[in-house]
Amino acid sequence: MPFLSHGSYRIRYELDGPANAPAYVLVNGLTQYAELWAAYREALVARQFRVATFDLLGQGESDKPALFISQDDQVAALHLLVDELGDGPIFLAGISFGGLIALRYAIEHGERLAGLAPMSCFAELPPQLFLLGNALRTALILGGTSYLQDLLLPMNVSDQWLGPVLDKLDSVKRQGWLVNDVYALQNLMESFLDFRPLTSQLSSITLPTMILNGEFDFLTPRAVHETLRAEIPNSALVIIQRAYHAFTLEKPALTADLLARFAEDVLAGRWQGNKAVWIAPEEAGGELIAFPAGYDHLRAIPVQGPAT
Amino acid sequence: MSEFFGPLDPQGRVPPHQQTRVAAFLTSAHGALARQFAFALPAKLASAWQTELNAQVYHEAEIVSLLLRATSWVPDLALGYLSMSWETAWFPQPAEGIPDQPLARAVGLATLAHAVHAGIRPAALLPREANADDPFVMALRRIELESGRLLQAQILFLKGPELLPHRDAVSAALEHRHVEIRKLWTSALEGVGIVVHKS
Repeated sequence: MPFLSHGSYRIRYELDGPANAPAYVLVNGLTQYAELWAAYREALVARQFRVATFDLLGQGESDKPALFISQDDQVAALHLLVDELGDGPIFLAGISFGGLIALRYAIEHGERLAGLAPMSCFAELPPQLFLLGNALRTALILGGTSYLQDLLLPMNVSDQWLGPVLDKLDSVKRQGWLVNDVYALQNLMESFLDFRPLTSQLSSITLPTMILNGEFDFLTPRAVHETLRAEIPNSALVIIQRAYHAFTLEKPALTADLLARFAEDVLAGRWQGNKAVWIAPEEAGGELIAFPAGYDHLRAIPVQGPAT
Repeated sequence: MSEFFGPLDPQGRVPPHQQTRVAAFLTSAHGALARQFAFALPAKLASAWQTELNAQVYHEAEIVSLLLRATSWVPDLALGYLSMSWETAWFPQPAEGIPDQPLARAVGLATLAHAVHAGIRPAALLPREANADDPFVMALRRIELESGRLLQAQILFLKGPELLPHRDAVSAALEHRHVEIRKLWTSALEGVGIVVHKS
């Protein structure tokens, strides 16, 4: 199991796939760990990508700083990993908290990247997200990791995913509960206490950018992704049908396919962001559908958008 | 060696020698915290934050009392020298690099409490099939949950404005305490066939 060193801390990472291939770096969400990308490793390696996964500081097998941890440290850790990948094209994808770290990396080191895929991501904390974040932190403090998982699960995945596992939720939660320590999670959450919105810096991301947002994500709803779409010049927003916040867990085949197609389009010179809005297919390999012209993609009912 | 207690008996209970070793360690650590918090507690509370200190004293004592009653104790010859090494490790260690000695001692106590509350996860040693109705199993789950709550006092204090100028000293003292306590915990468990998973 290889490790990178950031100061006195160790960051556990894994590289899969051919060494000279275009690379995908995948960044975990808050309570996640690198093994959760297993299906992506398999799918992307099969599409001739090299795949880099890692545990953020405070997660999984990486060191867990006891008290002080900043998002700058996470960006620095990601930078170390990217340095391991050589000079070939690198695509960076991150989910939720990991999406935010990916955004920050793209702002600071965009020249190292060929493309960016923020998923269930945000650049600022509007009141609902701010209050939800605070409530989740309080849940962690008062009820531990298990209670935080209890709150996150119904927010993150659909009834279709939850239904079959409802009578074995303890087993579903167990690995996440084992690898996550309360203090380490709390440190990660408290790295938002001095959070400054990234919105004004988004326009500096000139990379091809595919923004992925679950249709029913109410933790980070469409509006927070809209900020990314509106500010990042070469971006497109892709809405994942019937998906919630953690669609990377629930729909790995579809999401891995979208990531691969995005990178293949960029490498072939076909990608045109145009700040377009697309609807993802229901299954991997299907066609993307342009969001119907004239309708407002920020609404949940088919209301016509403002005239442009 | 396993990452979890076991083998469990047919009723899903943890082997008594493992119960004894773990409960002895936890009793020693939380007992030391109860004593040190009690000494730090003034007879009459003068500040709002001291209400938290008062709560810590009694919660630590509750953990000790719970373990005394919930554990199936058996003789453990190694406990003699292990207890000596544990009790020595709990001695107050004023944080280096903080010239204000009362503050340095308070930081030292907070780092010990942080390392015990955050770094020791006894419930994570329970295998999936452990009997949830067993008192020892319930006790470990309660101690781990309670530790997460108690930890908040240490986090608030160590991240507080009073210690901002000493952030490097606090961080160094805390990381040192975590390493020290993790080493003791790991070594205590190895003696009863349990290897602590790093995370």
